[in-house]
Amino acid sequence: MNDQEPKIDLKSICKNIIGIGKNYKDPLKEHVPTDEDPFIFAKPTTSLITEGSSIQIPKGWGTIIHEVELGVVIGKRAKFVSEDIAMDHVLGYVLALDMGKSLEFDKYPILLIKGFDTSCPISDFIPKSKINNVNNLNLKLSVNGNTRHDGNTQDLIHKIPKLISYLSNYFTLDYGDLILTGTPAGISTVKHGDVIEASLENLANIKFPVVEIQ
Amino acid sequence: MASQVIKVQTVCRNIIAVARNYTEHAKELGNPVPKENPLVFGKPVSSIITEGEIQIPHGWKELHHEVELGVVIGKPGKFIKPENAMDHVMGYVLVLDMTARSIQQELKKQGYPWFLAKGFDTSCPISDFIPKSAVKDVHNLNLKLTVNGITKQNGNTKDMIFKVPDLLSYISNYFKLEYGDLILTGTPSGVSGVKHGDIIEASLDDLAKIKFPVVENEK
Repeated sequence: MNDQEPKIDLKSICKNIIGIGKNYKDPLKEHVPTDEDPFIFAKPTTSLITEGSSIQIPKGWGTIIHEVELGVVIGKRAKFVSEDIAMDHVLGYVLALDMGKSLEFDKYPILLIKGFDTSCPISDFIPKSKINNVNNLNLKLSVNGNTRHDGNTQDLIHKIPKLISYLSNYFTLDYGDLILTGTPAGISTVKHGDVIEASLENLANIKFPVVEIQ
Repeated sequence: MASQVIKVQTVCRNIIAVARNYTEHAKELGNPVPKENPLVFGKPVSSIITEGEIQIPHGWKELHHEVELGVVIGKPGKFIKPENAMDHVMGYVLVLDMTARSIQQELKKQGYPWFLAKGFDTSCPISDFIPKSAVKDVHNLNLKLTVNGITKQNGNTKDMIFKVPDLLSYISNYFKLEYGDLILTGTPSGVSGVKHGDIIEASLDDLAKIKFPVVENEK
């Protein structure tokens, strides 16, 4: 273990969070839409929280939904990077929850649905060197001890090099930027008093209580 | 009085924008006017430029210009009451909310977010920072934009549907406002297409003037 690695505090350095939706294979469908463009959205950096904080449901919303994701942290500025060198731009990873108001994208602005304060709980930073194969990581999430998500990054439709390359064609990605790579199936609602726990293999473990703002 | 040289591009960590905040602009795009709440969306800070060219991504051919008053946050806050909102403002910028309109329509049809159409690099050209003290009445500022010398947009902030204090209050209920955050307050009518070779000039009263040439990327 390398104790000399600098401590990365993503909340301080991150200036951009880009989320990718609909990025896990649906086991019920044979056709995998790799030819479709990624579904991209953003979360403001004010949505980031770390353990010790609670996920706060805005007053009156009642319930929100959870998604568990592998987050990729950019280490080197990326613009027009090709897929074959994309991983050189990765600094490391986080386990992230992509909390949302609901799936009603036609009813509410996506910034509101996906970006409200505390909607991006993250684990401690995981250095790149800690992960042997980023395409075989188990992602698990439970609510009050009941498993909701239990997936693996092998089911990502657009893999990480493709995502970095695609995004860097339109957006300059900078040191500290965070890409949320999508969630496996299992989305459900949570309400005031629930507790979410999630894990990324044995690399990260997080626990966040949910409260509704009074 | 010390003059503040605020480099918004350096301190800004969030850009929150408001759509359809001028009635005539909503109408010209055939969009319903928001009644209850402002329609918010985000642009990444990587989209900000203070000089150089507006770059149309290769193949997109055309962008729409949208000239806006940008509000820069000085004092952080959450759940800000409208009557206290202006205490959180440290100044302003003149902004162009460049938009890939046809990409936006296509994304809407697919049920995809607008983020790509609103957030690509160079889609947020801004002027120098304007200190709060330089503005007497934020709701009586002329916003003007020309393309190749021809006036396209010529509006006034008095026509905002949701005024600045209400916008800041609403936004701060969901998103904590931090020092350096930039809020784009909407555009008046007159949006039009610009393509490779066009030159956009815009002004905010006599407080700010900007000029940006438009190019389309070759790759």
